[in-house]
Amino acid sequence: MGTIDRRDFLKLVGAGGVGAAAGFVLAEAIKHPVEHLIPYPVPPEEFSPGVAAWYNTVCSMCPAGCGISVRTLEGRAKKIEGNPSHPVNQGRLCALGQAGLQVLYNPDRLTGPLMRTGARGAGPFVQTTWDDGIAELAGRLNELRADGRSDRVSFLTAGVRGHLAALLELLMAELPGARLLQYDFDHPHTLLAANERFFGAGSLPYYDLENARYVLSFGADYLGGWLSPVHHALGFGRSRQGRSGARGRFVQVEPRMSLSGAAADEWIPARPGTEGFLALGIARQLVAEGGYEGADRDAWAAALDGHTADAVAAQTGVPAATIRRLAGDFAGTRPSLALGGGATGGHTNGVDALVAVNALNYLAGNVGRPGGVLFNPPPAFGPRARAAHASYRDMLALAEDARRGRIEILVVSDTNPVFTLPAAAGFAEALAAIPYIVSLSSFMDETTGLADRVLPSHTYLESWGDDSPEPGVGFTVGAIAQPVVAPLYDTRSKGDILLGIARALGAGEDFPWANMEDYLKAGWREVYGRAPIPAEAGGFEAFWISVLRAGVWGENGRRESGSPAVEARVIDAVGVAPPEFAGSSDEFPFVLHPYLSHALRDGRGANLPWMQELPDPMTSVWYGSWVELNPATAERLGLREGDVVDVESAHGKIGVPVYVFPAIMPDVVAMPIGQGHAGYGRYASRRGANPIQLLAPLTEPVTGGLASSATRVRLVPTGRRVSLVKQGGESRQLGRGIVRTTGAAAVTGPGARLASIPIKVEST
Amino acid sequence: MSFLDDFRARWRAYRHPGHYERFDYAWTMTIDLDRCTGCEACVTACQAENNIPIVGEEALAKGREMQWIRIERYWEGEYPDVKLRFIPMLCQHCDAAPCETVCPVTATYHNQDGLNAQIYNRCIGTRSCSVYCPYEVRYFNYNVHHWDKPLDEQLNPDVTVREKGVMEKCTFCIQRIRQAKDHAKDDGRRRVRDGEMQPACVQSCPAEALVFGDRQDPQSRVAKMMADPRAYRVLEELNTSPSVVYLKKVGADAG
Repeated sequence: MGTIDRRDFLKLVGAGGVGAAAGFVLAEAIKHPVEHLIPYPVPPEEFSPGVAAWYNTVCSMCPAGCGISVRTLEGRAKKIEGNPSHPVNQGRLCALGQAGLQVLYNPDRLTGPLMRTGARGAGPFVQTTWDDGIAELAGRLNELRADGRSDRVSFLTAGVRGHLAALLELLMAELPGARLLQYDFDHPHTLLAANERFFGAGSLPYYDLENARYVLSFGADYLGGWLSPVHHALGFGRSRQGRSGARGRFVQVEPRMSLSGAAADEWIPARPGTEGFLALGIARQLVAEGGYEGADRDAWAAALDGHTADAVAAQTGVPAATIRRLAGDFAGTRPSLALGGGATGGHTNGVDALVAVNALNYLAGNVGRPGGVLFNPPPAFGPRARAAHASYRDMLALAEDARRGRIEILVVSDTNPVFTLPAAAGFAEALAAIPYIVSLSSFMDETTGLADRVLPSHTYLESWGDDSPEPGVGFTVGAIAQPVVAPLYDTRSKGDILLGIARALGAGEDFPWANMEDYLKAGWREVYGRAPIPAEAGGFEAFWISVLRAGVWGENGRRESGSPAVEARVIDAVGVAPPEFAGSSDEFPFVLHPYLSHALRDGRGANLPWMQELPDPMTSVWYGSWVELNPATAERLGLREGDVVDVESAHGKIGVPVYVFPAIMPDVVAMPIGQGHAGYGRYASRRGANPIQLLAPLTEPVTGGLASSATRVRLVPTGRRVSLVKQGGESRQLGRGIVRTTGAAAVTGPGARLASIPIKVEST
Repeated sequence: MSFLDDFRARWRAYRHPGHYERFDYAWTMTIDLDRCTGCEACVTACQAENNIPIVGEEALAKGREMQWIRIERYWEGEYPDVKLRFIPMLCQHCDAAPCETVCPVTATYHNQDGLNAQIYNRCIGTRSCSVYCPYEVRYFNYNVHHWDKPLDEQLNPDVTVREKGVMEKCTFCIQRIRQAKDHAKDDGRRRVRDGEMQPACVQSCPAEALVFGDRQDPQSRVAKMMADPRAYRVLEELNTSPSVVYLKKVGADAG
C-alpha cells in the first residue's frame, strides 16, 4: 500500500467504486508529505496571505550601512529595497545590496554546527550540536584562562560596529590578553591615518558631493566601491542635474578608468603612486596663484616650495598646463571638493598622498562647509570599532605568533583572510600551526575550510543587530537590524553565539541578557535615556517600536564646523615620499592595478549567482577574470582579447585572458578582485583567478597596511586562447546616435570615421 | 469588403503614434544620461522583481542572456582622450512597435496603458519579434531554467515564471502598475497618483537617473523631464515612437 500514489488511488476509486469515506481513511493512511501552495493555511495574526509585510533593517553587504526595507510574503523574503527614510541611501540600493536575498536563500549555506573528522582542510565535516560546539570552545577557553594563558586566544572578525562590536569587547574582557582583530581587505587604513595626521581626527568625514560644484578625485572610485557608493551616487546625480544652472563637474585622477572615471567629465591618468605629487602641485598653485589668503600662507608656501607645475608634470606625466587649469578650476568653482582613496592610498606613500589631498581641501576652504568635507559626530553607540582594525602588519604578526605556537585558539568570523591576504603572507600555513580553529561563518569558504569546528551564524536578514553608519552623513544616525524572516536552519545569530560562549565561560553575571535582542534593547534603552530624543508618549517601548518601524533614528541637519586651523608642524610635514614598487621595472615592466569588483567586492559576493551574472560595468565580462591592457601595449606584445597570459610577480603567477581596455596607462595592467575561489560554494569555486595572491608584501610605513597597488608584474603569453564571455554588441556607436551628448566638442576617433552608415544622424 | 476596410482603418489608427494617448495612462520612463553612472543596480533590481532566471556561463557564451534591462557601453576616442558612455537599454514600449506587427499569433500586443505586453501562454516561440526589435531587448527562453533550492523561495509570486520556448521582456513592472491601480480604486480615486508606483529599476537607481510616470498628466515628473531640451528617443528615425525618453549627457565643455 505504501507505493500507491494519489493518482493511482483515484483510479482505484473510479474503477472499484470505493466509497468516499473509505478514500479519506486510505488517503490518511498513505500519508504523503503534505505540500501547501501557501506556507500557512492558517496564517499568524501579523499577516494575510498575498499581502506583503515590509520590515526595515540594515544592509550588511558592504560597510556603508544603508537602510533597507525587505518585502516578505508568507514569511519569505521576496525583495530588498532601499529604506526611503534612511539618510544614507534614501530609498536607493546598489546591485550587491539587492542580492542579499541570495545570501539568505543560498543553497550553499551551512545548515548547522559542524565538526571536522579527518585531516584539517581535507577531512569531512559532520553535523554536531550547538551545546556540544559551544561547550567544547568554552571548555578550551576556560582551560587557557585558568592557566593564565588566555593571551593565546585570538578573535578575528570582519569589521563590526554598534552593539555587536561592544559585545565582542565585553567578551574579550573575560579573556585577559586575548586579541581582537578586525580584518577587511578594503579597509581604508591610509585615509584614516591621513585624517588623523591632518585634522587630528582618525575618522571618516562626510564628503558632501551633493552640494559640491567641482569634485577632484584622486583614485577614489566613489561610485564603484569606495566607502558609501549609493550615497555618493545620490550626491553625484543631484550635483549633476539636481540644481538649475549649476551642474557639478567631476574630474578623476587614476591610472585605470573606474566607474567614477567614466562618469567624470575628465579622466586624467597619472603615473601610479604619483597622485600625491599632483595634489601638491595643485596645492602650490592655489597658494602661489590661486589667492589663498590664510594666516598660515607663508608656512604653506614654504612647505609646497618646489612643487611647481613643471616639476610635478615631470613626476606625474600630467601636462603642466593641465595642472594649472585644474588648480584654477578647483579654486574658482566653489564649493569644490577633493577626494582621495582607492589605489592612491594603496601605495607606499599612501598616507602622504591623502594628506596632500586633505591639504587641497583646506587651502580651497572646503573644510567644514557645505559642498566640502564635513566632520561626522562620533557614533551614538558602540565602540569606535575602526580603531581595532588589523592592518597587514598586524595580520603578519598574528601569523608569526601562530607559527611559533603562541596562538592556541582562533575564532574566525565573516572574514576570509586565506583568500584576501597575499600568498606571500603564508597565512594558510600559519593556520596549520594553530591547534584549535572555530569559524562562525554562514558559508564554507577558504578559511572556514581549515577550521576544526564551524558554528554557523545567521545571515544578516535573520539577525538582530544595529549600526551607526560610517562615514555617515554628517549627523548622528543609528539603525536597528531586525530579523525579517524566521531562521532557515539550525544557525544562531552572532550575538547569541557570543552570549552563549560568555555563559559557558561562567560569566553569566556580567552577561545578564537572555539573547541578542535583549542586549540590544538594553543598549538602546541607554541611547534613549542619554540622547536628546523627541519625547515619545509611551516611553522606551514606544520609542523602540517606532525605531524598528522607521528602520532608522537620528538627528536632522548637518553640522557646519567651519575650517579648523591646521598646526604648523602638520604643514611643515606635508610632502610625499617617492613611491616604492616591488620588483624591478626591467624584470617586471608593468604595475599591477588590482581593483575591487563592484559586484563581488573583495570576493564575498562571488557566491551570489546574480552577482556572477552581472556584467562588469566597464568591460561587460560575465563570470571569470581577465587582465586589462592598453591597446598600444597589447599591439606591441602581439596580444588580442582572449589570449591567455601568465601574470607573474615575484610572489606567484596566475593565468588569465587578456582584455584590451581603452582607458588604462600603457605600463599598467589591471585585474578585478573577487574571483579565484577554491572552496566558496558552487557558484564561486574554480572560476577565474585571485590577483591578491600575486601581491608583494609591501606596506605603507605609517599604518602597516598592504600597499596593494605597488606590485610589478610581467606578462608571459601561454599560447592558449579562450573566448571571454561578455555582453554582445559593438563597442563603438558607429554614428548611430544611441548615446547622445549636448554641449560637447565634436566626437573624434573611429566613431566619427564610420558616421556614413545610412542611418539618420542628428547633429546635436 | 466592408469588413476589410474596417479592419484596415482600425489597424491604421492602432499603428498611429498618439493613438494610445486617448487611454487612461501613457506610462513613460525618462532616463537622464547625465546622471547614470552605469552601476547596474537596475539590472539586479529587475532580476529580483521579475523572476529572471540565472542562465549560466555556457548559455551566456552563446549570447542567450536574460536581463530585461542592461547597460550598453560605448567607447569614444582613444587613449588618453577616451570616454566611456553608458546607456540603460530596456524595452522601449514603442507605440508603433515593430515586434507587434510581426507576431503570427499576436502574443505581443499593446495594452490600453500604452504598454507593449507579452502573452506568455500565446507565444509559440518563432522569435520573429526579437528579429524585428531594433533595440534588441527581447529575450528568448532557450532552456528550462531552474532555481537551486532554496533560491526559489525568493521568487516573486506576483510574476509568472516563464517556460522554455517563450519570449519575454521588460513589462514596466506591470504587476506593480496593476497593484497601484487596485489601490487607487480601493481608495476611491480614479487615477494612480504620480510617483505612487515605480518599476523596480527606477526605485533602485542610486543616482536618481530613472523617472517613471504618466506622460498624459502634465504635472507628472516624467512629463516635466520630457520637456527638457535634452530629451531624445533612441533610433527615433525608425518611427517606433518609444515610451522611453533619454536625456542627453552633458559634455565637458558645457557649464
